[in-house]
Amino acid sequence: MEFYQSLLTLFGFRILLGLSAYVVILTGQISMAQAGFYAAGAYAAGAASAMWGWPLLPSILLGGLVGGVLGFLVGFPALRVRGLFLVIATLAFTEIVRMAFLNLKYTIRVGERTIGPAGAEGFRGITYYYQHGWAPWHILLFTWAFVLAALLAFWAIDRSRAGAVLRAVGEDELAAASVGINLTGAKVAAMTAGGLVAGLAGGLYAHYATYVSQEDFGALLAAFAIAYPLVGGTGSVLGPVAGVLFFSLLIDGLRFLGDWRNLLFGALIILMMNLRPHGIVDVGLVRRAARLLRAPRRPAHAGP
Amino acid sequence: MTHPRRHLVSILVLAAFASALAWFPAAPALGQERTVKIAGLGAMSGVIRGFGINSKAVFDMTVDELNKAGGIKLADGSKARIVTTFVDERCNAEEGISVVRKLASEDWLVVIGPTCSNVAEPLFGILQQKVGAAGDSGLQFPIFTDTAIKPGLAKISEWAFRNVPHEPTMYNHLFKWLKEKHPDVRTMAGGVESDFAHSNSNAGTMEAAAKAAGLELLGWEKWLLTDTEFSTQVGKWRRSKPDLIAISSHPFTLCGTLREMKRQGVKPKVLVGLTSSATLETMVGCGPEAEGLIIPTGFAPVTPEAKRVAKVVTERYKGNVDIHSAAVFENLQVLKRVIETSGVEAKPGTVAQDRRRIRDGLAKIKEFDGLLGKVKRLDDRESQKPYVFAVAKTSDWAVLHDPR
Repeated sequence: MEFYQSLLTLFGFRILLGLSAYVVILTGQISMAQAGFYAAGAYAAGAASAMWGWPLLPSILLGGLVGGVLGFLVGFPALRVRGLFLVIATLAFTEIVRMAFLNLKYTIRVGERTIGPAGAEGFRGITYYYQHGWAPWHILLFTWAFVLAALLAFWAIDRSRAGAVLRAVGEDELAAASVGINLTGAKVAAMTAGGLVAGLAGGLYAHYATYVSQEDFGALLAAFAIAYPLVGGTGSVLGPVAGVLFFSLLIDGLRFLGDWRNLLFGALIILMMNLRPHGIVDVGLVRRAARLLRAPRRPAHAGP
Repeated sequence: MTHPRRHLVSILVLAAFASALAWFPAAPALGQERTVKIAGLGAMSGVIRGFGINSKAVFDMTVDELNKAGGIKLADGSKARIVTTFVDERCNAEEGISVVRKLASEDWLVVIGPTCSNVAEPLFGILQQKVGAAGDSGLQFPIFTDTAIKPGLAKISEWAFRNVPHEPTMYNHLFKWLKEKHPDVRTMAGGVESDFAHSNSNAGTMEAAAKAAGLELLGWEKWLLTDTEFSTQVGKWRRSKPDLIAISSHPFTLCGTLREMKRQGVKPKVLVGLTSSATLETMVGCGPEAEGLIIPTGFAPVTPEAKRVAKVVTERYKGNVDIHSAAVFENLQVLKRVIETSGVEAKPGTVAQDRRRIRDGLAKIKEFDGLLGKVKRLDDRESQKPYVFAVAKTSDWAVLHDPR
């Protein structure tokens, strides 16, 4: 049972990461910066709880705040570039963050142990959960509280004018601008929200893993972050969830294939993207599901 | 959507869910045969996969031999067969945690592995820090590491054990010995794969050892684990002309560096490498360029048993015994001894107690017979292993000095 709780916790980090990319993709931008926000959130939250002795919740929120601020800062220069250029610019940001942590050495003595980012040797000792007697189901509930909050927030945004604005910017910037939508505001807001959610996810992951290293936050993680909503679909917030399930099942399920796993994994993604070019949960599926849910009620029988 | 497409989507979804079945715990054996379940964990894919493949070969060979010899004796006197699995951690922390939590949720008694230090760190981190500590909800599951060599990891948890060479001891001895043999060697330059935890920490070990031996350090050149171009770094060595070059990197970038040194004509009087590169992989990748490379290693086929194990693993299990994989053989022998002497019952209801018995048994071991001789166990659950200095000679490893 504990294993499944742990697995669901892991899904939680991935869903948050997928959601952080989803909100940016709604505005038509592809960002590889999510891994950088995730890393910054992980290190900040880890430092807060393990080094400075902060309680857990403020530590995680600090991770989210750091991610959000970085998202805001990256959002402005990112406005000047689009398409592949934005992909390269945001990937460069992730690499800058990774290299910063590769060179960051800031350790202190906490009791008998030296704790803190130690350059290439990583940051160990983020053991709040275990030192405070948290069982796997506590960690699961805590993580999923953030996941559900993020899902609800994005679902509400999707159904609000703000969501319509984001999608309008993503569909056609020129048309959106012509009806008075503030493109800068929409894109920077999306990047900030994405950074915030990725930072929260990073903070939660750091506490789950107890150890983080810059090696964990490279281009592969950035690629997965955008792959979750792209393969899962951007038709609704359930898209990144579907993407996470698809990838997670393949990652672990094909483990027995060794090196062949990467080959088959890639082939299955290509196949899936060909069959469902707009993702597993695309706009069409969302509309069909909505129609089903709104199935016409049988007219009441007329009285005699 | 057309019908064929619909079928394909259905197949994909089914494949994904079928693969999810791998997550379900294995059903207990239906037969009456008693079994002891030992899991292996290593990098079977990715850049570092060579280490995992060798560990698995030695793991399979040793388990086969132990089972052929009658298996393991349990507390009630009955004999149990060893049942195994070997799981890929892809040198990725998240995957390592996931698979160890799965193994811990099943009836595996102990894990041998992982390959990478960046996986060992979080794995030891999610274990209970101190045995029996109230309020510590970490996993109570013994892990006995063969490969992850970054110094000082076992102290993270009392459930963590390692049987890896002690690099500071080996390099201090090596540099002292080199200084005696080559008194004209005065300056040293280093090269390090700076984004890999083990290479990076070992660079510090090499630097301290070189300074202790009286060498003047000219500086460190850096590259990354996946780099393929080293002309700038090697160019600096060509200009600074160090007497000794120490390279702290794994076979892939070590070979790239050595090829570039040959191209630029950089020939130091002495060339020293990282423990993890004293492998056949280096010889296959760049044997001629590595000529003269000296590495301290915890394994060489210099005893009858070491020769026998190396031969069997190569011929029948398609792997190689090296500094890391040799420890798998030793770890399994030690586990057999611990299981037979610590009252392990191997019954469905005694998994937690058996894990604790194995942990306590491992903690009590003070010495055991390794492939190169006596291995001392230290209070911090690490090993002090015998070692030799190996040198690359005509695309093979030879023993340059045997201090045992």
